[in-house]
Amino acid sequence: MSDGPLIVQSDKTLLLEVEHPRADDCRKAIAPFAELERAPEHVHTYRVTPLALWNARAAGHDAEQVIDALISFSRYPVPHALLVDVAETMSRYGRLRLEKSDHHGLTLTSTDRAVLEEVLRARKIQPMLGQRIGEDAVAVHPSERGNIKQALLKLGWPAEDLAGYVDGEQHPISLREAGWTLRPYQREAADAFWHGGSGVVVLPCGAGKTIVGAAAMARAGATTLILVTNTVSAHQWKQELIKRTSLTEDEIGEYTGTKKEIRPVTIATYQVMTTRRQGVYRHLELFDARDWGLVVYDEVHLLPAPIFRMTADLQARRRIGLTATLVREDGREGDVFSLIGPKRYDAPWKEMENQGWIAPADCVEVRVTLTEQERLAYAMAESDERYRFCATTPSKTRVTETLVRRHAGEQVLVIGQYIDQLDELAEHLGAPVIKGETRVKERERLFQAFRDKEIQVLVVSKVANFSIDLPEASVAIQVSGTFGSRQEEAQRLGRVLRPKSGGGGARFYSVVSRDTVDQDFAAHRQRFLAEQGYAYQIIDADDVLAGD
Amino acid sequence: MNTDFADWLRARPDERLRELVAARPELVTPVPAHVDGLAIRATSPSATGRALDRLDRFALAVVETLLVITGDDGPGLGYDALRAALARSVAAGQEPALDAPLRETVERLRGLALVYGPDDALRPAPGVRDVSEFPAGLGPPAAEAFRDHPPERLAALLDAVGPAGGDVAAGLPGGGDRTGGAAERLGRLLAAEGVVPRLLDGVGPQARAALEELAWGPPAGRLPNARREVGLEATRSPVEQLLARGLLAATGEESVVLPREVGLALRGGRVHRDLSPCPPAPAGTARDPALADRTAAGQAFTFVRTVEELCERWGVDPPGTLRTGGLAVRDLKRTATLLDLPEWVAALAVEVAYAAGLIAASAPVDGEWLPTTAYDAWRVRATEDRWAALAAAWLAGDRVPGLAGERDDRDRLLNALHPELRRPAAAEVRARTLAVLAAGPGLAPSADSVRERLAFEQPRRRGADRDRLAGFTLREAEQLGVTGLGVLSTFGRALLPGKDAAAAEALAPLLPEPVDHVVLQADLTAVAPGPLTSDLGRRLALAADVESTGGATVYRFGESSIRRALDAGVGADELVAMLERHSATPVPQPLRYLVADVARRHGRLRVGSAGAYVRCDDPAVLDEVMADRRAVPLRLRRLAPTVVVSRASRPTVVDTLRSLGYSPVAESIEGDVMVTRADSRRTERQPMPRPAGTVSGPDPEMVAAAVRAIRAGDEAHRARRHPVPAPDGQVPRSPSTGTITALREAIRQGARVWIGYLDSQGHATSRILEPARMEGGYLTAYDETRAAVHRFALHRITGVADLQ
Repeated sequence: MSDGPLIVQSDKTLLLEVEHPRADDCRKAIAPFAELERAPEHVHTYRVTPLALWNARAAGHDAEQVIDALISFSRYPVPHALLVDVAETMSRYGRLRLEKSDHHGLTLTSTDRAVLEEVLRARKIQPMLGQRIGEDAVAVHPSERGNIKQALLKLGWPAEDLAGYVDGEQHPISLREAGWTLRPYQREAADAFWHGGSGVVVLPCGAGKTIVGAAAMARAGATTLILVTNTVSAHQWKQELIKRTSLTEDEIGEYTGTKKEIRPVTIATYQVMTTRRQGVYRHLELFDARDWGLVVYDEVHLLPAPIFRMTADLQARRRIGLTATLVREDGREGDVFSLIGPKRYDAPWKEMENQGWIAPADCVEVRVTLTEQERLAYAMAESDERYRFCATTPSKTRVTETLVRRHAGEQVLVIGQYIDQLDELAEHLGAPVIKGETRVKERERLFQAFRDKEIQVLVVSKVANFSIDLPEASVAIQVSGTFGSRQEEAQRLGRVLRPKSGGGGARFYSVVSRDTVDQDFAAHRQRFLAEQGYAYQIIDADDVLAGD
Repeated sequence: MNTDFADWLRARPDERLRELVAARPELVTPVPAHVDGLAIRATSPSATGRALDRLDRFALAVVETLLVITGDDGPGLGYDALRAALARSVAAGQEPALDAPLRETVERLRGLALVYGPDDALRPAPGVRDVSEFPAGLGPPAAEAFRDHPPERLAALLDAVGPAGGDVAAGLPGGGDRTGGAAERLGRLLAAEGVVPRLLDGVGPQARAALEELAWGPPAGRLPNARREVGLEATRSPVEQLLARGLLAATGEESVVLPREVGLALRGGRVHRDLSPCPPAPAGTARDPALADRTAAGQAFTFVRTVEELCERWGVDPPGTLRTGGLAVRDLKRTATLLDLPEWVAALAVEVAYAAGLIAASAPVDGEWLPTTAYDAWRVRATEDRWAALAAAWLAGDRVPGLAGERDDRDRLLNALHPELRRPAAAEVRARTLAVLAAGPGLAPSADSVRERLAFEQPRRRGADRDRLAGFTLREAEQLGVTGLGVLSTFGRALLPGKDAAAAEALAPLLPEPVDHVVLQADLTAVAPGPLTSDLGRRLALAADVESTGGATVYRFGESSIRRALDAGVGADELVAMLERHSATPVPQPLRYLVADVARRHGRLRVGSAGAYVRCDDPAVLDEVMADRRAVPLRLRRLAPTVVVSRASRPTVVDTLRSLGYSPVAESIEGDVMVTRADSRRTERQPMPRPAGTVSGPDPEMVAAAVRAIRAGDEAHRARRHPVPAPDGQVPRSPSTGTITALREAIRQGARVWIGYLDSQGHATSRILEPARMEGGYLTAYDETRAAVHRFALHRITGVADLQ
């Protein structure tokens, strides 16, 4: 009996014992073909999915390697069926290839005629195809390059896209490494992307994804379209690019609700791209406004469906997706795979933390016992109002205030869902509040002030969930959230994970009402954190209040 | 009846006869009376056919060669001539390898009584020729093929074949050869050197191609109006060219055959082509045997778990039996989904569980498929024993799970568990297929090479059906863990000779050892890094939900699972203590909180059941009732000042209270519902239909007894031919003193005697006896003719003679 660190389960999950002496080697061996699903303190769970196996194939690994890794690290015999399935699944990738031919333009070729015949018979595929070229190839309408990849993935025969990319309009961009240097993993990520042509880079919040984007742009040296989640994020990208690269302010355009600049590097928001008037996307022309050499998708896991559709038409351009997690609450991971590209790089959070690239964090759940009156009121509340009620109880407000007082002198963010609650908290704490209606200019002023430590407590609504760089926030207090969204939890934690100048740790509080749905939702969110390796602690609000 | 053969058989030593009977057990069911009977049975078409079926390709080729070269009544063939004939047939370069196998094969064929005679005159056993219509794909000899031709046709053919007037100079038997019939002469002509090539020169390329088609068999073809008159000059079509030259013989109105002499000539004198004296070596991938074993063990473990899960599921939610007996397609699909397996694997698990007697139909009609009581016994055994039980049932059974979902010859759907989902050859093919794997340790042979090997071993039985069975065997063996990565595992090898215990013993060390600890994590999961000891496994399964299984088991704690444990009477402290004891790591704080939280809310509401309640607005009356000793049998309990509950039923309470002098009124409420969890159900094990034939032959004792009986019978049979001093024809009323004396003497000496005996119908029979004792007018003796001990009435013994 071998003593490997890995246990292979019949549902295709892999359990990795972290403390095992060979755990590191094993992690490196299985990371290419298994998605890290949970990383709690002792045993990490990886899952072998078809997408993950195809990602591995795209990265040049073959079934033999995968099977070898499984067998050599496994503690127990690996179920034969699983091995067969792995080999079978992996062999499906690459039997079909999209290629560019001089005579026929874009073609779908196959090394396996039976497979080609099978997909040719699929009703969804037929309209995308042109005439048959010989027995093993068929022409594809160039405009369908993305759609056919999506459709083939659904059929279980993912096509390898070898049709290449247009170089786009040249525009020299270089990194200006003054006072900072590209971290090794950032360079690896950019390189991995470049060699793969297109794809997704998975890095935790605070690991400097923007820099990876900038490095990718420098590699491309071409005009670039950057798609980001919102206006604030757009500003930040712009500032970051000016700071880190040879690009000047004039070379970077913003394409947002207010400004419509098209420059060699243009930053657009998802929102403006998906704005419709009379059923027509009005800003589609942006994609054709220049001969873009690179398209950057920030926060790929949030990419809205219409952008997917637009992206399907951009398959000849290099694409890089940046994200902290490939988990999509809508389950469209397959679209990310086929339209943006396979995963090219990823590194687990904890590892980054151990290497000091992101700040360590303590997660604390503060359990607030409701008063009798509050409990009664909660019990009587309509079911759709219940969460709002228990998430915004006065007891919570009191505890939050105490926590803020306890961390006086540190940069504290109070994050919540309900505006009333935030307003009330802001009033009690004497702190400014940023919410949806706050003007962009005002937001930036407040953020800057927070950065400069002129203000130490900031109350923010969910507008601050994404992409806002608040380097010095060391404490985050979450008072309410979007129900049980794991996504949001990760993003909020990300707020405090950026390395601090003092090198200290961060704290992440969740204030939760005991015995209510609030606790259930919190449990769901925290499970995600625990699975990311952030063991959390539970303390009683009474202890907080007593210690005050 | 060919007496040569019977005499040869009789002359074989007992040991050889035992071999014969052991190899062809059908010859002694029932035991023939004597060697002649044995010879008749051995040469019967059905017995001969079965014996030939068991031959490998080389042995069959030896028999066929003998058939082709020796005539019906010919003198037989010398060993050296046989060797020379075979040497022509073997592939180039293999000739030196021929000797040892040929010697061994000839001995084996003699042992099987398919070939007989001394080395200088080997002959196929009578009967062999009758069941070999076209030996080696060759047609009948010309003498036979042309037998029915009218004399004038034969004369024309002789003219056409022989050189005009007989070319004596060339040494060809021409017109001058007058021995035998015309057909025989034609045969000799065709067999002569150079004749067929010369005739071939005279036909067109199309005709030649047609002959080539028939050359390597089958040698018969269909042709309209085959008996047409064709002369050498008037041939119109290619076929007519052949008919006119005697290269084809018409055997019927519409059939033609290639005469053997022509066929042999076309084959260049070879009876077979590319014959190999040795079985083809299986080809495939070599694997690390240790790795293969580990993989197989993993699969064995998985399969046992699968069957267990199947039985557990069916115990609670059994599928119905179909009217035709079997499992509905829908139910199989559902089971496959439940077990997360492809349908064919689910069908395999179901069938193996059935074959092992773990599931059965609760009733032949409208029943349900339920686990049997045998399942409960199986479940508590060690994993390796459980596996051995399953694997042995699979190996020996005649059921073919692979056929599930197909249709039979009457186009009826064959469901899993259908009574007709059987093939008599299944067990044999399975054993043979695994034997091929066993021949190459560490080798994972390709399916094709296994089939090729099986085809060599039993060429006459080869067929698509058996090929499929072999294919099923390979893929099923992999699922069961009999093979790993296509290589026969060491424990699978032990299973082959039927040593289940040895197989289990070999498997045991390869299975994961049970662990007694788990790893608790902050995400409220517990990982058991191996199969848990059964006690810990049960406790954990109570307090947490199983999330994934395999080498390890992942449990997740949740509110509902903790509540389940508390409901089962486990205290919160007890639960945490259990976790602390069995956790390799500190119990995470969130888990403690979870347990405490659930425990805090647990049991705030209390629910109980009662047979009846008594309520009264005046607590004083209830005090009175409670105090009354006569009310004790009602087992009253005060819930509140105005409410009392009783375990007794409402009518009992009402009656008792009335007898105490109260006047209670029964309240009509809707009957309270008692919900108890439906218990897992069981059925009795049904007797399994046993496979028709066993793979292993009869046991040696039976064989020896059969041979003894035959010999004894034979002696009796032959002794009857010799005149023996028999008493006079009249049956004496009392036994003659001579008889008694002779018998007493025989008992004393332990000698055998021959007796004449009148059976109960008054027929005279003769027996060979070993007398044992004589008393009360009866002789007790071992009757060698019937191989049993019998009692003989002394007054019916008509005479006694010594056997010399």
